[in-house]
Amino acid sequence: MSVGRDLLDVPFPQMIFSMAQAIAKSQLALDKSSINTLQMLAKTEFDWIPEITEVLYPKPIAITSANAPPNTVVTGVGVDLEVPKPTKLTLLQAGINPTFYQFTDSTILVKMSITSTTSSESSLDVGVDVSVSADFLFGSATVSSHVNYHSANKYSYSVTGSSELSTTLKPVPPPQRIFPTFILVDATNPAAVKITKS
Amino acid sequence: MAVQMYMLTFKGGFNQDASRDVQRHVRQLGGYILMVTPNGPIVAIDDSMAASVAGHALVDGMGGVTLDPRGRAAKHLEAIFAGNLSRQISMPVAESFAPEPSEGDKYVRRSRPT
Repeated sequence: MSVGRDLLDVPFPQMIFSMAQAIAKSQLALDKSSINTLQMLAKTEFDWIPEITEVLYPKPIAITSANAPPNTVVTGVGVDLEVPKPTKLTLLQAGINPTFYQFTDSTILVKMSITSTTSSESSLDVGVDVSVSADFLFGSATVSSHVNYHSANKYSYSVTGSSELSTTLKPVPPPQRIFPTFILVDATNPAAVKITKS
Repeated sequence: MAVQMYMLTFKGGFNQDASRDVQRHVRQLGGYILMVTPNGPIVAIDDSMAASVAGHALVDGMGGVTLDPRGRAAKHLEAIFAGNLSRQISMPVAESFAPEPSEGDKYVRRSRPT
């Protein structure tokens, strides 16, 4: 029984390995979930109307009121609204990205409480009895003695321990190798086609 | 404790009944439905409640998502989210608020400066 021995017995390597293994498993599960979400976002389409065109043109208005002079015409404006057919766009193209998470700080905290007490108790009792008797011709005496020795030793040793594992999970930008690259070919002007990556 | 966006998918694919049931569950937990897509809704909910939504019997997957403001249709999505949110959030009416007295059908002469 020694404090040093007990401290050495704490399975630190095993605890760290178990924690690292748990973090790696959790990270894998989180990444798989994020990739599933990425695939779902890439499959989910919605109707997108990129632009609506309004054309304004002069549209004189003839006043028909009997109180107005005949053939009175005032200026007016007509509006032609052109709404194109909706374009199918995936949520990923539209700008919804999956959230990726990463474990950052991990801490193992081990608390140990070691109590060792030793108590020793002893008692010594010494006694002498003397008795003397005298008669006409003889005299006698008796002497008796006793020694009582009592000894008790008490030992107690207790070890209590607790461990605490904590880790921080943070959202991080999607890994570039997983996330698709968008290539935009702008052919609105055939003479100068532009290709951009994002 | 923070509100985050999640996309939900259903066991056995999308169906109206499952979607309604899960949307109701999200609302009961204090979350909001931002958009309903053909594969499942996009919701906003406190992350402490996320496990309860993910554990719903009809939910197959629940993945966190973020809106990239530089996305091609980010403004359009923002408008959809805002429109759906406005139908779910009830703003308390201020006590001091009193509408302007109406002029009813009284004739009001208006003149335009020339």
